[in-house]
Amino acid sequence: MPKANLKIISITSCVALAALNALALFPEAGDFRVYLTGASLAIALGLLMAILFIRSEKAGPENQTETARPVPVPVQTAGNREEAEIVSFLAIFQERGRLIDFLMDDITTYDDAQVGAAARVVHQGCKAALQEHFRIRPIREESEGSSVTIPAGYAADEYRLIGKISGPGAFSGTLLHHGWKTDSVNLPRLVRTGPDRLPTIAPAEIELK
Amino acid sequence: MTKRFSLGIDLGTTNCAIALTDLEADQTEVLEVTQILGPNRIGERRTLPSALYVPHRDEFRENSFPLPWEDETGDARIIGHFAREHGALVPDRLITSAKSWLANAHIDPRQKSLPWGSDIQEDKLSPFECSRRYLDHLKNAFLHAGRAQGRNRDLSETELVLTVPASFDAVARNLTAEAAEAAGLGKVILLEEPQAAFYAWIAEADREWRALIGPGDIVLVCDVGGGTTDFSLIAVSDNDGTLELDRISVGEHILLGGDNMDLALAYTLQAQLEAEGKSIDSWQFLALVHAASKAKVELFDNDALTEAPIAVPSRGSSLFARTVSTKLERATLDRVVLDGFFAKTTISDLPLGSRRAGLQEFGLPFAADPVISKHLARFLVRSSANLKNSQTLSAMVEGQPGSNEFLLPTAVLFNGGVFKSGPVRNRVLELLASWNQRQPVRELRGIELDLAVAKGASFYGRTRVTGKGIRIKAGAARSYYIGLEASMPAVPGFKPPVKALCVVPQGMQEGSELLLEGRDFGLLTGHPAEFRFFSSADRSGDRPGQILPDAERELEETASLEINLPPLPEFPAGQVVPVQINSVVTELGTLELWMKHLSSDRRWKVEFQIRTE
Repeated sequence: MPKANLKIISITSCVALAALNALALFPEAGDFRVYLTGASLAIALGLLMAILFIRSEKAGPENQTETARPVPVPVQTAGNREEAEIVSFLAIFQERGRLIDFLMDDITTYDDAQVGAAARVVHQGCKAALQEHFRIRPIREESEGSSVTIPAGYAADEYRLIGKISGPGAFSGTLLHHGWKTDSVNLPRLVRTGPDRLPTIAPAEIELK
Repeated sequence: MTKRFSLGIDLGTTNCAIALTDLEADQTEVLEVTQILGPNRIGERRTLPSALYVPHRDEFRENSFPLPWEDETGDARIIGHFAREHGALVPDRLITSAKSWLANAHIDPRQKSLPWGSDIQEDKLSPFECSRRYLDHLKNAFLHAGRAQGRNRDLSETELVLTVPASFDAVARNLTAEAAEAAGLGKVILLEEPQAAFYAWIAEADREWRALIGPGDIVLVCDVGGGTTDFSLIAVSDNDGTLELDRISVGEHILLGGDNMDLALAYTLQAQLEAEGKSIDSWQFLALVHAASKAKVELFDNDALTEAPIAVPSRGSSLFARTVSTKLERATLDRVVLDGFFAKTTISDLPLGSRRAGLQEFGLPFAADPVISKHLARFLVRSSANLKNSQTLSAMVEGQPGSNEFLLPTAVLFNGGVFKSGPVRNRVLELLASWNQRQPVRELRGIELDLAVAKGASFYGRTRVTGKGIRIKAGAARSYYIGLEASMPAVPGFKPPVKALCVVPQGMQEGSELLLEGRDFGLLTGHPAEFRFFSSADRSGDRPGQILPDAERELEETASLEINLPPLPEFPAGQVVPVQINSVVTELGTLELWMKHLSSDRRWKVEFQIRTE
């Protein structure tokens, strides 16, 4: 379970970065360019997810990577469970913020106003889902562009130094991005799913009269 | 067993919550409730929506909704977050507001009648059974939370306090207590919700609360939840140097709340969209209600905004093509929510009575008048009338502002999610000041207004166990009466009035009982006897044993009472047994009526039968 969570967290922090960085620019309305930036970032994010999926698939048993050959009935392995949890997590972002609809649609034919309206749906829903499951805050509280000093012995995984790195710490420089981190995760748990298939991201909807 | 914990349970009309006080550490926390968030998905939320969904047999894969405390045989009904979200799209299978049906005069709460008006083939559930299930879920969530923290908590070492609306009569209160027992919670203590909110405020203000209110204050607890509005007045007095709190008045059961405001906003926005030539379907309307609710909070929380954007996605997978967007302007919000529900009306402007249309749809008695200001005015006028009937109560509010016609509070404590928004609180304060010749009425600041009731209940449980801390003197909120058929010669076309015998006076304390001496009845063994049962919330002066000439004109009919004396060796069938009425308000806050044999200690309990019309 912790391992699965870590993976989900890494993916979500990407979702968070993209969603918050790009979509949070909305209040500057009127300039629809930002929506496109948001959308393209989101697509990049989709790619990243795809890459991650491919990776985890490759790490799986040999026979799963080959196509058109009957595979033995899979048992519920740890990897299988991790994948199910990631899919179920995507399902939350789809359900709350229509993220998969947003990414899978062809964006090129729509004008910026339409993209902007759709982005509001994604932003509102995904942000709510994100805040429900993670407590997210910046790594540095200073405003971006200000000078900051990182003391010697800083947590290296919380910083990325760019430019000329030399001498012993502490390091002083300009804060380009304040970073994000989470220190509290409260994810829904997946229960009693079949071992044979992954959860659905979004069910097909049919209205009965 | 020694009590080590106190658990406060807020069984709300739209949302439930639980809070736990550890008596040793003297700390209170809201416990998150494990619940179903989707097929095969569970998680924790601070509230459990009081919604129950009855899925179709083929709707989901088998065993899609397991809870950690259920085995695979658990039935498929779903409670909580997913039930509410999914049920909104399949309304025929969704049960909401089960609690309001408990206090409904038209149906038997034990009859399988919900979802109301639905055509589903599966077994329906009774309002009583729904309440039992919510309580069972909360009980299990509490025990589960303990196990998850590696601490095995036991119900027997937990003081359980369950909150009920102040407006609930004895029958609805007893039913709630019974549902708790049927859910395996054992005997629970009942506490009125506005009182619980007040206890939460005391706990929060800690030692300072005595500086914030003092003798002579009358505090209005103004509780507007998702679906109901509940008022109470608490008087502060000085008894030989000790501060005393008395709950002196409770309001009526008003089915009007925050959900109505969100709906009203959504209808306004829908009209706005239609005027722009955009139409939305019923699914999109639900999304619009959500969006309107969010925009409302954004605008109310941030004075700098003049409008909030609203985007409603289409039903299909293309988000770009068919998302419709509009804006909620601040002026619209103020007009719909502030002026619509909290209009600046005068104190003499009372709510319109319910419409008596020829064909009225039979269902929950939703408030006919949406203006909460008018309901508040009616409450203050009724409170004044009630207090005038009792010397003790009148003395308590002597020298208060307001006229002879209504009772004006000196301070207000807000409760319920609606009042998280500053502009709504301010509007009510303005309204009260306008009734007070422009003199401001103080606001007592509460916190976490949607969780305060659960917290206050657990705090009250702590006070009961430890004996430390102040308690509000409340007692019975209503007086109760047994109907006596008047013995008069029959006159054609004239129905003799039913006289009423007061058996429980208003304010009768918990843990007390009384015997109506000098009024003996004869019960026939082997024959069921039936009485009519009445109540009143504004006759504080009536004493036990007092007789009112016309019950139907002056009182509300609450239930009928039934008693069946089985033949016993000492009382064979057909014998008349002389009895007296013995009424008991238990320590737990439930009402019991007994028939006590005149010359022995033997007594028989009278059962409340639910009135059905």
